[in-house]
Amino acid sequence: MKKIEAIIQPHKLDEVKEALKGIGVDGMTVSEVRGHGRQKGHKEVYRGMEYDVDLLPKIKVELVVADSRLDEITAAIAAAARTGKIGDGKIFVFDVAEAIRIRNNETGEAAL
Amino acid sequence: MPGNPTTARPPAHRDLLESLAISFKANRDPNQVLAARTAAVDELVARAAVEHVVAAGGRRFTIAACGGYGRRELFPYSDIDLLILVPQESDIGPLNTVFSDLPQALWDAGLRVSHSVRTVADCVHLHEQNVELHISLLDLRYVAGDASLLDELSGKLEEFYHRHAHVLMQRLAELSRTRHAKYNDTVFHLEPNIKETPGGLRDWHLLHWLGLLMPQNEAIRESALALRGAVEFLARLRCYLHFQTNRDSNLLTFDLQDSAARELPDNPLPTGEWMRLYFKGARQISQSALRALEYAETQDTSLAQQFRDWRSRLSTTEFTVSRERIFLRTPAQTAASGEGILDLFAFVSRHGIRLSWDAQRRLRAEAPQIEPRVAINPPKWPHWKKLLDQPHSALALREMEETRTLNALIPEWNAIDSLVVRDFYHRYTVDEHTFVAIGAIDDLAQAKPSPPHRFRELFEETEERALLRFALLLHDIGKGTDPGEHVRGSLNTARTVMARIEVPAGYQETVLFLIEHHLDLSLVMSARDLDDPLAARQLATQMGTLERLRLLALLTYADISAVNPTAMTPWRLEQLWRVYVLGAEQLKRELDTDRIHSRSAGHFILDGNLTPEAQAFLEGLPTRYLRTHGRDEILRQVRLAGQLGRHGVVVEIKRQSDAWQAIVMTADKPGLFAMVCGTLASYGMNILKAEAAANHAGLVVDQFRFADPLRTLELNPSEVDQLRLTIELVVRGELKVEDLLKRRRPAPRPSHGASIQPMVQFNREASDTCTLIDFVGEDRPGLLYDLASALSEAGCNIELVMIDTEAHKAIDVFYVTRNGAKVPEADEVHLKAALVRAAGGH
Repeated sequence: MKKIEAIIQPHKLDEVKEALKGIGVDGMTVSEVRGHGRQKGHKEVYRGMEYDVDLLPKIKVELVVADSRLDEITAAIAAAARTGKIGDGKIFVFDVAEAIRIRNNETGEAAL
Repeated sequence: MPGNPTTARPPAHRDLLESLAISFKANRDPNQVLAARTAAVDELVARAAVEHVVAAGGRRFTIAACGGYGRRELFPYSDIDLLILVPQESDIGPLNTVFSDLPQALWDAGLRVSHSVRTVADCVHLHEQNVELHISLLDLRYVAGDASLLDELSGKLEEFYHRHAHVLMQRLAELSRTRHAKYNDTVFHLEPNIKETPGGLRDWHLLHWLGLLMPQNEAIRESALALRGAVEFLARLRCYLHFQTNRDSNLLTFDLQDSAARELPDNPLPTGEWMRLYFKGARQISQSALRALEYAETQDTSLAQQFRDWRSRLSTTEFTVSRERIFLRTPAQTAASGEGILDLFAFVSRHGIRLSWDAQRRLRAEAPQIEPRVAINPPKWPHWKKLLDQPHSALALREMEETRTLNALIPEWNAIDSLVVRDFYHRYTVDEHTFVAIGAIDDLAQAKPSPPHRFRELFEETEERALLRFALLLHDIGKGTDPGEHVRGSLNTARTVMARIEVPAGYQETVLFLIEHHLDLSLVMSARDLDDPLAARQLATQMGTLERLRLLALLTYADISAVNPTAMTPWRLEQLWRVYVLGAEQLKRELDTDRIHSRSAGHFILDGNLTPEAQAFLEGLPTRYLRTHGRDEILRQVRLAGQLGRHGVVVEIKRQSDAWQAIVMTADKPGLFAMVCGTLASYGMNILKAEAAANHAGLVVDQFRFADPLRTLELNPSEVDQLRLTIELVVRGELKVEDLLKRRRPAPRPSHGASIQPMVQFNREASDTCTLIDFVGEDRPGLLYDLASALSEAGCNIELVMIDTEAHKAIDVFYVTRNGAKVPEADEVHLKAALVRAAGGH
């Protein structure tokens, strides 16, 4: 099993959700996060005053998937989240040792 | 090991609960459940006392019931609180093990028991850190053992409570306030905890305890009697929740609301209607509890309390303020008209002082008569404005709802009063959400430390505060009439209400705009690429003006903040601010680039039929002009432009609500804007807003909104004509501004310690032909003249300007050229220094 963590632009969340739903992935955890990678921050001018906007609002989508579906799912996320501009985000993949469904103690991929 | 009460309950107790559940289902009588379970537990405790304590040789001990058990109010799965009383400390040691066996046996019997072993002396020793103990002993009741020991304690407790009533009440009040705060001080939760939420059973207990601590207080006893129906409703509901969930769960979830609405009333009710009954009773309990709580808290005759009574100075001929409460001198007179009621609540809104309980009671009693009265003669907008302009509007509106006067003045409000609309994120009923949202704006107005700084600044710059709060008041009212299409419902209701109270047409447009678009910025936050220039352009088009964008940003801030206490995360705050800045910068850029082409303007003002004069006048003015002027005003200005006369200048000065307006039209000439600013300054006028732009024919339209702090124009009507003539002569070159200004003492310049240091920012990208200069600084009379003069002296021509002042802050946007082109970049440093000097900075 693999855990996918995708950091994406806020306005791309709906497209990513739709793309995942389109390939039969319904379960995910979504959180509002702030940060930056190569995009770094930028300066915004308001009323003649410059503001440093160093941590930009992003969305983090997390999901755990079966190994066999990893490539398909990461590709779907990347395609849906891409605008081609700096700041589109990143996808991280981690190994997952175990998954347990709390309700009935199912384990492994059956718990996903 | 004690058994698990839910799985290892012995048959006798399980059977009891099962039989109680069956009888409750049949008769829905909570009193029977409470009495039967209390009696059964009494029997179990008494038997356990004999089997474990007496059998082990214990003689002088008493087992007493405390808390709810002591009151014989054992709900199906309530805890059992026991006091094991012994004469002396030395009696505890030998029986320590036995006293542990007793509760263990009761746990094994399926009861959740809490117990403490104490001496009589210990019970009458004040434990300030464990005031809950003393509160629980208020409901002490004999169950088993030596009754004389309890009699001894009871005698001493009477004296103990008499001596320590004050401190116990203060601590009880603190605990209750903390509990209320945990639930955001409101009854109106979508899924309330019927025990702990304000208006829940715990508030009923609070009343009961305060009644015992203040036995002389008749009012508490009377209010407790009046609440019998509401308390029985809650008791029935709590029994129901326990039986449905098979545990001590007091959360009235959406699912349980549906089933309770079907099963608890004599005839099934729609859930929403039944929930209104719940809220009605909870509100009554909450009000009585708060009243008793307040009484308990004010049993403080300290110097500090006496000092707090200073507010009595605020008393008027109609109201008296005493102990932080408003009392009505002539209640019938106040309630006789809608205006009187709104004036009363404007006082609440201004000073943040609540109505006295007596005033509330009297208004509530009058409310049914108020509605038909105001239907004939509804109070008009100025009275609402007076209320909604003040910093405690949410408090005032809540009190209006509590007294039913809000419902009388706006009958449409009934549709959302206590209305539950199921939503995963929302925590409150629709009316409460509305009050919390207005409260978020009030917090900005009161400069409380928690609200974010940027939005407070935005609020301070906003002139139409009453409109903002009024739009919030009605933004979700459609949820009561058009579920699923609530924006449409809110718009329809807002139109009806505003027509009835005669809100001026321009204001109506703003309120309708805010309601119609109240979800738009949230959508942009989450669904639009904020780095995409198209998003900025679309946002600017949708908003139309900076003023509308500012109001909508504030409304969105309040609306999100009122969803639940944690909804306005730093993430959302940042996103909302980004959206606001995105729109604001785009609108500022478009001031110069987005110009009127008269053929398209025709749609705005004359249904496509523009006269040639109007076409010529409008051609080339900023599009903003169409968005900030109504049809009639535009046509009036077209006519004004036709009166230029042989000197080529026309000046109009007129009163505009609480300020004055001057319009100057003439052919463009160097220093024109500075001339008019200087003339106004020479008359002691303080410019609040100004806009200047030229059309394609080169006609400059300068518009000023200014205050007359010395009321010169109001008290001397002939001075209006004099000022008009003076401006005309200055523009014609027949008078010099410098000479006019010599007549007046120079206006004070801000000291170097001024709170707002001037800031100047140049933007060369905003326009193809002009340099945009943003200026922010401390406002003062004559500032605009000094800035405009500095620009003129530097050889700059002001092509377009938008000036705004709020809260002592001047926020100015100048589009300037020099020799018909942008200001050379190399000269920006000098120009900036000149502007900062003119503003008194360094």
